[in-house]
Amino acid sequence: MNGARVEFRGLRRRFGSTVALDGLDLTVEPGELLALLGPSGCGKTTALRCLAGFEHPDEGEILVDGADITRVPANRRDAGMVFQSYSLFPNLNARDNVSFGMRVRKVPAAKRHARAQELLELVGLPSVGDRYPHQLSGGQQQRVALARALALEPRVLLLDEPLSALDAKVRVTLREEIRRLQLSLGITTIFVTHDQEEALSMADRVAVLRDGRLEQVADPATLYDRPATPFVAEFVGAMNHLPGLVSGDRVTVLGQTLPVEGRAPATAEADVLVRPEAVLVTPDSEGDGIVMVSSFRGSTARLRVRLGDGTEVLADVPGHDSARFAPGTAVRVGLVERPVLVSARSEPGAAAAVPEPDVV
Amino acid sequence: MASLTPQVTTPAGSAPARGGRPRRPRVWRGVVLVIAAVYFLVPLIASFVFTVKAPNQGFSLDAYGKIFSAEGFGGSLLLSLGLGIATIVLVLLLTLPAAVAVRLGAPRLRPVLEVVCTLPLVVPPITFVAGISTVLRWGPDYLASTPFYQTIIAVQNPDFPVVLVLAYVVLALPFAYRSLDAGLGAIDVRTLSEAARNLGASWPHVLLRVIIPNMRSAMASASFLTLALVLGEFTIARLLSFETFPNWIYRISGSQAQVSVAVSVFSLLITWLLLLALSSAGARQRSGV
Amino acid sequence: MRDSRTGSKSRWAAAPLLAFVVIVFGVPMLVLLGGTFTKEGTFSTANLTESLQGAYLTALLGSVKISALVAVLGAVLGTFLAQAVVTSRFRALREAVLTASGVLANFGGVPLAFAWIATLGNSGVVTTTLGLGDYGWSLYNFWGLTLVYLYFSIPLQVLTVVPALDGLRPQWREAAQNNGASTWQFWRYVGIPVLTPALLGGAVLLFGGAFSAYATAQAMVGSTVPLVTLKIADALTGNVLIGHENVALALSLDMIVVAGLVMAVYLPLQRRSARWLR
Repeated sequence: MNGARVEFRGLRRRFGSTVALDGLDLTVEPGELLALLGPSGCGKTTALRCLAGFEHPDEGEILVDGADITRVPANRRDAGMVFQSYSLFPNLNARDNVSFGMRVRKVPAAKRHARAQELLELVGLPSVGDRYPHQLSGGQQQRVALARALALEPRVLLLDEPLSALDAKVRVTLREEIRRLQLSLGITTIFVTHDQEEALSMADRVAVLRDGRLEQVADPATLYDRPATPFVAEFVGAMNHLPGLVSGDRVTVLGQTLPVEGRAPATAEADVLVRPEAVLVTPDSEGDGIVMVSSFRGSTARLRVRLGDGTEVLADVPGHDSARFAPGTAVRVGLVERPVLVSARSEPGAAAAVPEPDVV
Repeated sequence: MASLTPQVTTPAGSAPARGGRPRRPRVWRGVVLVIAAVYFLVPLIASFVFTVKAPNQGFSLDAYGKIFSAEGFGGSLLLSLGLGIATIVLVLLLTLPAAVAVRLGAPRLRPVLEVVCTLPLVVPPITFVAGISTVLRWGPDYLASTPFYQTIIAVQNPDFPVVLVLAYVVLALPFAYRSLDAGLGAIDVRTLSEAARNLGASWPHVLLRVIIPNMRSAMASASFLTLALVLGEFTIARLLSFETFPNWIYRISGSQAQVSVAVSVFSLLITWLLLLALSSAGARQRSGV
Repeated sequence: MRDSRTGSKSRWAAAPLLAFVVIVFGVPMLVLLGGTFTKEGTFSTANLTESLQGAYLTALLGSVKISALVAVLGAVLGTFLAQAVVTSRFRALREAVLTASGVLANFGGVPLAFAWIATLGNSGVVTTTLGLGDYGWSLYNFWGLTLVYLYFSIPLQVLTVVPALDGLRPQWREAAQNNGASTWQFWRYVGIPVLTPALLGGAVLLFGGAFSAYATAQAMVGSTVPLVTLKIADALTGNVLIGHENVALALSLDMIVVAGLVMAVYLPLQRRSARWLR
């Protein structure tokens, strides 16, 4: 089994007055796992459904290994799909669900059952073949759905938020397992998710979508460290917007002068984008900041610190240190010495603290 | 398994224009809906046309006017309404406490009540009335010397045949019980009654002041269903020879075809109104007003 | 425990209902049973034998035949109508059809018969307008009665099957397509099996409704179509032969047995078709 190259070219799709896809151009390399990331309504699911054949683009085309499949009916496409939830046929047991596609293709019963058993073993469920979907846990159901999607040895695997209905713990195990399987099979995989942590931890590359357009596509580290647009910076991880003064290729922020990463904006006043983990806080009774809120997350604690001038800053400290940063503690705030991203001030004078959108 | 993608290409001409949405389902849906509309609407329209078509004048609403002046109309309608109200009262008195009991304290009674409330659906009404008429016929012979004799005579009083009420209660039980049970399920009667008991209310007080006020719409729906059933019931009344409203329609049909069809249209309208009232009561309940 | 404390007391709340059913329903049923096996004061199976012979048997079979036909036709046609409504994008259409079904499913008895007589009877509006009489059309036969019974059976099936159709998730169809299934294969392997319990349940309801229908048949066809309910009514009212009241009881028992047999076939089928639900 080898992966195919998938190309989306100028894909447009509107539903009534809402534009789901607004000229999406994206290429997925053979054998890679690409995550489509974005808020709900950004068009990521529509893109996937166009590839599966459940939606039809108004304009543009979809190529698999160079062949235009835009008009191929859904039941003749070479792409296995795993749905968000409840997609197993309730009247068939796990084995028959997995072998459904082979039954449709008139594969003899003995052969397809043997193959289904193989696939169930592949997804770590060797002994559930006789169970009906409602007798399986949510995680097991999604594993069976994965086995079913792989049964016909497709060259593209489509995952439509397959983990979003599962418990946090199952979610993490299953995503590792999906990744392991995908690597061993070498199958081109497109994974739709709104969970940035999921996207960053699993994907070879992450494509961030917004309003039906591609914002940025890059490997997770690049996406996190060097977001191409403020939207990506906001959406992937938490980000502080701190007021800074640019001069040349350096910027002064919170009393420190740091080198500017990439291009500096033309104006002197700018927003400096800093990740919470790049903010250093130390308890100091003489310090300028006061801890307002501290939320403990186990390995880290995220603090919301208010500075003397009213600016709020998010900062991560190690979890075992969190006792030292109870709300009300006076702290000194600094930044890690390394190049920072600077963007033009969007709303002059606006408080820079970022509301926490999707932080885990 | 071979990959299928590259081989399959759709002929350019057959590709649907924009959006590529399949057209076929809409066609069969339209055909089905049109046939259904013809089948279900034509008899209604034709009935109405039949009643307003006068031999010489072309159009006349006389048939509807004649309904009210026809002999026996008022009496039979009043009888059916009276029977309906008596049936509603009795069926609610019997089923409400039982339904509450099953929810609150005796869940083991549930299967018993389920069976009791399914039997009248499985056993055809005509067999039920065969049994009843036999009891009424034999009863006097065996019970002549006991007070039951008087009872048997009394329940057959043609002015108000109690025996019909008893029979209708049996027929209405399944519907009444189901709708009350559903209503109780919707209000979490256990929490409500425990809260009331905790505040010192007695059981009758709980039933009257806490449960019933919260059950108004379920009781209304049980009552409407019962009323519709009684107003339309023909078999039992006819075989026991009481002239209820449906029996009256049947009797006059021989002499006045137009009037009897007019009454049929009229009674369909009544059913419509009852069910509309029912569904709007249900809607009010859902919206929590 | 709550149950031990209030259970015994609250059980009495159901006592009046149970007592009522035992007396008002149970006694007539016992008398029915007793009367069936009594002839001239002694135990006898003569009534039962007679009820399964000649015209009585014909009537019983006629009832079974029309009920089975109505059940099958009504279940199939009702499901098609329900599917057309469920997949429609017009919410108002759905509401209208469901409300109308609620009304029409209860539209039985004498008024229904008259509505059809006024439409397709010998001097009905459609009959005279289209001149159907010249083609030998008559409503007063087996097929005419079937047509009329379907008028309340199809809406009943719509009401029964719509929740099941709503329960068919779009993912199932998409997953089937994704696995290479055509529309027909989706229905063959997934759609119809998932709907089967609801379809069977609906068909049994339809059978029961047609089997026990009396008013419509009496008002419409009188005795031209042999039906067991008409025979029972005739025998009970002494319409045909005096002294056949106990044959009416035997016929009633036959009906109950048929209804019981239908349930005996239905319940295991239902259990089998719904085995994936448990």
